This record gives sequence, C-alpha cells and structure tokens, in this order.
Amino acid sequence: MPPQPAAIALGVTSTHRAGYRVVEFRIEYSRFPGTLLTTCSSNLQVIPVGRGLELNVPVLEIENLTVTLGDTTVLDNISLSVAESEIVAVIGPNGAGKTTLLKAALGLLPIRSGTVRLFGLPLASLGPERDRLGYVPQRLELDRTIPVTVQELIGINTPKRYYSRPAAREALREVDAERLLDRRVGQLSGGELQRVLIAINLLRSPKILFLDEPATGIDMEGERRFYDVLENLRNLRQMAVLMVSHDISVVYRYASRVICINRRLMCQGTPGEILNDETLERLYGHAAAVYEHRD
Amino acid sequence: MGLEYPFMQRALAAGILMGILCPLLGVFVVIRRMSFFGDAIAHSAFTGIALGLLLGVDPSLAAVGFAVVVALGMGFLQANSRIPSDTVIGVFFSGAAALGILLIGMLQGFRTDLFGYLFGDILTIGWGDLRAAAVLLIGVGSVTAILRRPLLQVALNRDMAAVQGVPVAAMEYTLMVLLAVTVATSIKLVGIILVTALLIIPAAAARNVSGSIRQMFVFSVGFGAFSAVLGLFGSYALNTASGPTMVMVSIAVFIASLVGKGSES
Repeated sequence: MPPQPAAIALGVTSTHRAGYRVVEFRIEYSRFPGTLLTTCSSNLQVIPVGRGLELNVPVLEIENLTVTLGDTTVLDNISLSVAESEIVAVIGPNGAGKTTLLKAALGLLPIRSGTVRLFGLPLASLGPERDRLGYVPQRLELDRTIPVTVQELIGINTPKRYYSRPAAREALREVDAERLLDRRVGQLSGGELQRVLIAINLLRSPKILFLDEPATGIDMEGERRFYDVLENLRNLRQMAVLMVSHDISVVYRYASRVICINRRLMCQGTPGEILNDETLERLYGHAAAVYEHRD
Repeated sequence: MGLEYPFMQRALAAGILMGILCPLLGVFVVIRRMSFFGDAIAHSAFTGIALGLLLGVDPSLAAVGFAVVVALGMGFLQANSRIPSDTVIGVFFSGAAALGILLIGMLQGFRTDLFGYLFGDILTIGWGDLRAAAVLLIGVGSVTAILRRPLLQVALNRDMAAVQGVPVAAMEYTLMVLLAVTVATSIKLVGIILVTALLIIPAAAARNVSGSIRQMFVFSVGFGAFSAVLGLFGSYALNTASGPTMVMVSIAVFIASLVGKGSES
C-alpha cells in the first residue's frame, strides 16, 4: 500500500522533533481513502485528510528552552511540540521544572535562551491569536471570603467581545457545571472550580489549553469527572492540551503523549512506551517505579 | 444638626466625597490584601507634607509627589526583588514615618500639630480643599471605572490576566498611583488614620455581607458615606473630634457586618 507522498513530506519536515512518532502512524494507516488514521493513547481517531495535514503545524513548539532562576538552571535545553487535538502530559519529580516549563511557554517567566512558538508565531507577535491561548492555574490564590460569583469571575476574565451571560452558561454546560453560574466562587469544591476555570477559557475558543496540576486537591470522583470533561472537549473542539501532572494513572488513561522532564528532557512517547518501571525509575528514582492503574 | 454653618456644610461634602472615594479603592485594597500598603502610603504622604513645608513647595503637591514615589518604589521592590512584600512595606513604612517626624523637627519656628495630621480636621476644610476632593473623586473614579475589568482581573489572578495579554505590571502600578494620589490628597482633609480607616473598614464590612463583587462595591461605598455622615453629625452632637468619630462609626458598621455574617451561616 503506497503511502500518500504529500503526507510523508509534510509530516517529516514539520514535526521532525517531537511529533515524529505521530507521523509514522499516519503514514502506516493512510490506506483509508480520504482519511488519515492517527492514534491516541486511549482511542483511535479518524481525521479527514485536510485536518490531518494541519496537524503537522504544531500548536506549540518549544525549541532549546533554557530557564534560569538566579544562578540555578531550572530548565536545560528542552524541546517539544504539541499538535492539534493532542493531550500531552508533562511528568517529572518535584522540582523538575514542570510548572516552570508551562509558565515559560506562556511568557509568564523570562526565558534565558531558546524559542517558544504558538500557532507558528513567537509569543510577542501573537496579536489576536493570543485569545486562542487557554491557561488554568494550579490554584486561583483567591481569598475564599471575597464575594465573587462564578458569573463575575467569567465576566472579569473574558474580553467583552466574547462575553454574554448565555455564552457563559453555554461554556459552563460544556464542562458540566451549568448550575454553578450564580454560585459564589468561595463555595465551589476544588473540582468545580477547575471546571469553571476551563469554562472561562472556552469562551475564547482556545486552540491549546495549559493545565498546571489540575487535579491538585480534588477528590477522586471530582478528578475523574474533570478529565472526562477534558477528553470530551478535546474530541469536540480539536483542542490541544498541555498539562502538568503528578498522577501517573491519569496520565496513562488520558494522555496521547507523555513528556518526562527533570530539568532536562528525559524521555517522551506514548504512555504505553513511557510508563513502565524502567523509565519511571530513571525519572523518579527507585521508590516511584511501582504504581497502580486506577480503573 | 449644625448644617447652618458653612464649615459643617463643607465638612459634610468632604466627608461624603472621601466616604465614596476611599471605599471604592478599598475594594481593591481588601481583595489584594494591600491594607498595610495603604497605611505605608499614608505615612509617606505625611512625610511629603513635612518635606514640602521644609522646601517651600506646596505641601499638598509635595504629599502627592512623595506618596507616588514611595508607592512606585515599594511596587518596584515587590516585583523585582526576592524580599517578601510585607517586609518591603514595613521598611518603607517605618522609614517614611521616621523621616517625616525628623523633618517636622527641623522646621525652624514652625509648630505643627502632629495629632492634627493623624486625625486631620475635617471641620477646617476650605472651599479650595473641597474642590480638590471633588476633582479627585471624578478623576480617580473615572480611571477606576474605565479600567475596572483589567484591575479586577489582575487582582483575582495575575497569571491568567497576563496570559490574556493584560499589562499586569502597568495595572498594578496604576492602582498604586491611584491609591497614592487619593491617600495623599485625603490626608490634609481627614488625617492619616481616617484615610486608612475609610480605605479598609467599609470594604471589609462590605465583604462580609455581599454576595457578589458588584454588591461589594455598592456596600463599600454606602458604608463609607454612611460612616462619614453619621460620624460627622455624631461628633457635632456629642462634641467629640469628627475624624475619630467617623472611624468609630465605621467600626460599628464592621462589627454589625460580622454579626450579620454570623447569623447567615
């Protein structure tokens, strides 16, 4: 079965670093007429050829990123890319620079050297495309006694051109939180707040969502619901997700690709390739090599 | 009620203007936990007044100028050093207060009433001061109204604001300058303690009883104006100092808000 030449050429040239593996899969399965078949960790997705080729332009591309804090090198020469519809999980031990990686990619921290491109553009020249950038912080760091309602939180954090009460309600519906619209933010559970924060981003129709340890302080049921919502959004909106996580079982279940860092890039691949005792031991040390799937 | 006296009319007008303006900014101060910051600015404005008297510059202008410089200095250090922000404020606070008292002492043949600067004297306000207060309310009020979304956005979560391209640092400095200008101008009217009281107490009380940020703004301004008016008339009736009486009324409102909050839960 001869592969489609256009697909090979584009795939190899534009995702020659991190996304190479994705390209291999597509070439292999491109025998289906009019479609490319690509793979994710948990399910197979059939994507029309036009869309599939767009996949070759990474939503996020980080090259040789180095971040220093004082004299300490927090991130050392990290390169990675995230394609449309991918859920990429960044794992690594405490202090490995996971949050720093996210914040540097978002321009929240100064970069020592290297480049970050979003939608093919450097951060500084994103222009209106900046609206397509979604970010959910680890915590809101908001005093819970401040009487801000969910609707107000959405309104305050959404540019006027995207905001209306029906739009806010619709975004909340997408994250299974419609009934929270008039609640006070201080009364929400951790899981509810995280879903509301995602809804805030949805109003701007993001192409990529950055999540920093989204499940911190959420109970197991809330966590499962959160990731189901996230996976659903990815499937519906072809939204890419780059998330920092410490929960190996969540990564195993939801991530299309895993990137392990410990100040440097340690490994990357599908969860099936990465999440075995050997690589985890290399990443975390011996104690963390034993883990359970929570199914 | 004493309203037949022009000084009472001016005091009432000034009290209402300050009772609206300070609690308006106070909402941001309370959300961002900047109470101590407001206090430090008030003390540096006092130093500015002393500096103005010493250098022969208009004390009100000197107060505003010095307060803005100190506010920006504190803001810069908070953003660009690893010193914890409460430490930065503490250093500026004591430094400014000490410098002010030193400068007052250096003024030859000038006997100033430090007590007057602490509590101000709203009853001695002239028409010129009142005009200044009105201009201040219109100016600061308009800037706050125009920038309310980005100001609140930065107050609620800096990083989320920054990702959306909100100029976070500019918003923070804007809020500091608004605070510095307001506090420094108000000091001459109502004194250091009343300024910080009006900045914090009505907003803190409003937080206790509000169900939304919008309500918090409304209640904060309402409580502030109410405290100013009731305090002024109370001081007239009881023959007490007006500034401290206003503060005590706002404290009473705060306690009532705590009780209201307690019965709610």
